[in-house]
Amino acid sequence: MGIKIDALKCINCMACEMACSYHRDDGFAFLSACIVVYRAREKQDYFGVLIKEEEFLKVARPEGLEVNRIGEAADPNKKADASVKPMLLREGCDLCEDMDDYGPMCIAICPVDAITLE
Amino acid sequence: MEYLSTDKILVIDLATSKIEETALDESLVSEKIGGAGITKHLYEKHLNDDPIVIGTGLLTGTTCPASASGLITAKSPVTGKMCHCPVIYKVGIEIKFSGYDYIVVKGVSDKPVYLWIHDGVADISDASGIWGKDVWESTDSLRKFMGDDLLQTMMIGKAGENRSDYAQICYNYWSSPDRFGLGKLFGSKKLKALAFRGMGLIEVADHENFVRRSLEILKEIKTNDFMTKKGIAEIASAMGEAGVEEWLEPIVHRHSADYFTPYATNTAVFLDEDPKRVEESKVAEPGVLISDVLALLAFKKLGLSAEDAGRALKACAKYGIDPAAVAELSGKSSLKEIVDSFDGLSGTVTLKGKGSFSPWCPLKPIFNDFGLSGDAAEAEAWWERRQAVAMIFGIQPIFSVMCPELSEENMLELAAIGTELDLTQEILDRVVADLLK
Amino acid sequence: MNLYQSNADINIKLPQGKAGYISKGNTDIRISGVPDPECRRMRYPRIGIYAGSGTSHSWLWFVDMFERMGFHAVSVLDAPAVRSGRLQQMDVLAVSGGDTVAIAEALGEDGARQLAAFITGGGVYLGACAGAYLVMNSSKPHLCHFNFAAVKITNLSKRLPTCQSMPHKFSIAYGCEHIFHPVREAVGLRLTGVPPFSGEPALLVPLYGGPGMLAPPEAQVLARYDHFTDKTVFLVDKDLAEETLISTAAALRVPMGNGQMYLFGPHFEHPHYHRANRLVADAVYWDSRRNPDECSPVARDALQLPTSESANLIHSLRRELSNSRIVAAGLEMFPVWWLIGAKAYEPEKIRVFLDAMWRRLKPLEKRGRIWARAGVPDLLMADACETTSLLRQLKNELDQGSVTDPTARTLFHLLHRNTMRFFELYFQTISNNLTP
Ligand code: SF4
Ligand code: SF4
Repeated sequence: MGIKIDALKCINCMACEMACSYHRDDGFAFLSACIVVYRAREKQDYFGVLIKEEEFLKVARPEGLEVNRIGEAADPNKKADASVKPMLLREGCDLCEDMDDYGPMCIAICPVDAITLE
Repeated sequence: MEYLSTDKILVIDLATSKIEETALDESLVSEKIGGAGITKHLYEKHLNDDPIVIGTGLLTGTTCPASASGLITAKSPVTGKMCHCPVIYKVGIEIKFSGYDYIVVKGVSDKPVYLWIHDGVADISDASGIWGKDVWESTDSLRKFMGDDLLQTMMIGKAGENRSDYAQICYNYWSSPDRFGLGKLFGSKKLKALAFRGMGLIEVADHENFVRRSLEILKEIKTNDFMTKKGIAEIASAMGEAGVEEWLEPIVHRHSADYFTPYATNTAVFLDEDPKRVEESKVAEPGVLISDVLALLAFKKLGLSAEDAGRALKACAKYGIDPAAVAELSGKSSLKEIVDSFDGLSGTVTLKGKGSFSPWCPLKPIFNDFGLSGDAAEAEAWWERRQAVAMIFGIQPIFSVMCPELSEENMLELAAIGTELDLTQEILDRVVADLLK
Repeated sequence: MNLYQSNADINIKLPQGKAGYISKGNTDIRISGVPDPECRRMRYPRIGIYAGSGTSHSWLWFVDMFERMGFHAVSVLDAPAVRSGRLQQMDVLAVSGGDTVAIAEALGEDGARQLAAFITGGGVYLGACAGAYLVMNSSKPHLCHFNFAAVKITNLSKRLPTCQSMPHKFSIAYGCEHIFHPVREAVGLRLTGVPPFSGEPALLVPLYGGPGMLAPPEAQVLARYDHFTDKTVFLVDKDLAEETLISTAAALRVPMGNGQMYLFGPHFEHPHYHRANRLVADAVYWDSRRNPDECSPVARDALQLPTSESANLIHSLRRELSNSRIVAAGLEMFPVWWLIGAKAYEPEKIRVFLDAMWRRLKPLEKRGRIWARAGVPDLLMADACETTSLLRQLKNELDQGSVTDPTARTLFHLLHRNTMRFFELYFQTISNNLTP
């Protein structure tokens, strides 16, 4: 089981990032989320969602899903591609196992149902 | 103020470079709630120094749906009166996360400066390197200098520097709800920009209950028909403007939302790139993000093609000038003439509403009727109140005129849960009445 | 209750001269104010954490762990400090992960002699991962000075097995052989019940390159690798991983003269593993006895700054750390890493150093006046500003796709050095004002 993101449905609202961080910090912040909205290319209007799982980094880009096994994508010869975010030191998605009332918080909060469980 | 707050008010005197911080008293929140309630209070307190007060709503940056907005309260060079201009996109929430609930900027600097607000630290920085540059170049330049692509800015362009009456404060690269000429005020203070970034954490009193109620409200919101729609053209259609969707569609790239706003109120159009391209564009500046439906409509009514309207909006955003004023006052109908008119623009703009809240937000209900009868006076009163409430709590203003589920009762309830203060309808009525005076 | 609270409570009393005793109970280690026949008197130890050349960021885990448990008489040592004899003022030395050979090289023969004198004189050595490899017998250059424990490494091989995942984390040359890392992340241990590890039958701990060990006769096995977990990441075939690790020693207590060496394959000091952290504290209490009745005055040469200077320093530090953190957060977006020495450094590690300092600004502020050696505040600020400008330079280089290795190397060096400096000041301040 894991989180699935439809990047084309996503409206770049950042609610999932907030909710995920909330589930770790019990306050409102964007510090510890393992789901992160990629929005560094603002003028290009390019955005997508990344999720760090235990072993994988899933990058839901508008053009399709990319799954990287953590560690393997690291190639010092590769030119930096800022649209992949390793987030190695953040905790991986635990499917909000402690949030009994809601299940995965990112799914509960996404206003446009761009996030589902697969 | 412990909850839903950074507990900090910043006062910056540009004349003396003095920076002061004070705590946000809980009693002030109990009395004025937040947002415009408190920015107005601070504005009046510092009135002699012609202050610009930047603030956030009590719910800004939380799990309350559409809690995206901050605001700027200042004396409008257009109306000569105090006004409240919404801060949208992701700039509004960044104010709070950068460590301050309210920022008072007073006095006049003797040289161009920008304010760098980060993690509870405020720096007055030399803006000579960006003074003279347009909004886009300046935001790019600050982002590059700070090494941060997510830096959020309030920026003026040449219009503000040259003190045009129609100068607009832009947010990051984009046009803003500033119909009040606040860009001119920035320019007259030699204040080129504010840049925000922070990694703060906002505490909430009863966090479990707050989030539970937020999600319940979201669930109600999601029953709305508008949840199947997206973007600015559908807002225009809902306002009764025919043909906008077809006109704009060929250049639409994607729609996006302000922070946690369930309806994507912004539409990016591509002008120098295939709009249907899904991969990241290699073109440096392929298009423009549009949040100003009325300016878009105004350009359409001048007879511009969608592409030219997009180009006009982009040029306005770079120059830092209010596109609605340009459309109204330039009297031109070709892109080139419109852009050439920026410098010499003159005349009086029509500002709908009472001048306190920005008529950038459509002055009528969208997608829902809110039980209004159709009477114009009733609709106007409703709009003013709706805007006041949105600016108190930090709600995205356009979303507030489309979503009845985001009721005053719900906002008050969340505010009370989140702060453990006894915030009642009577208090809200009093604060609203004071704002509408 | 906070698992660390009992330690923190004791560590408030011990420096005040109150007596505490530790003994092996029937099922647990017992800590009490009343002596019993089998007990050992507890000391408030002076702890050195080695953070000099060759270490990775994991020395900060020891910092976190000791701080949370109220061990505040902490000095952060670099190699020159070890070589110049600072260890002789310590009761405990903790060495965490990093590049073992680089650590050995930095400490050199003099450092090895100092370390041997420290342990044989009754010191407690805590070595996790690289810190454990360091003191194992070896004929390799630099390491050969540290032949303190005849431990055999089970994950050492002449021929490298096939790597299944994370090639950049997989192996490291060890003379003409290779140390390979069969798994990473959480593994299950079974404890043997030998004191002071008597309280827990089993435990989860993270393994990031530490050894499987075969104990020499004089050593006591405290814990063995028992099983893998659903969080374990396999870098080799599962059977080979089992063969290499399961049932081998994961924690040893090895005597040397009057002192003891605790060698940990996994990181017992990792901040997310509270139960393992407590065992480390028990080990410290159990074997610290070098300075019987002396509490721990840290930094006799530190001076107290005036209130306004203290506030200014904290404000300036906050400004620069914020500037740095903001760039560092953005760098997390980049899938680059840098090989520095024999270790892979990812951009995220920058934030580990910065956040370690950032989190302590508020506690430092609460203490009011700062203690520091003369000149340290200025050096701290100069390096903090330089860190921001290097980070911004690095970001620009990444944006342009240019070579970033030299900048990254300088940056990590600077960050490391300044974080050490910060913690020197930090522990001096909190141990000199024990109550905020
Ligand atoms: S399921 Fe929970 S932990 Fe996983 S990404 Fe969503 S919010 Fe984060
Ligand atoms: S909550 Fe949904 S729409 Fe919003 S950013 Fe996350 S995935 Fe996109």
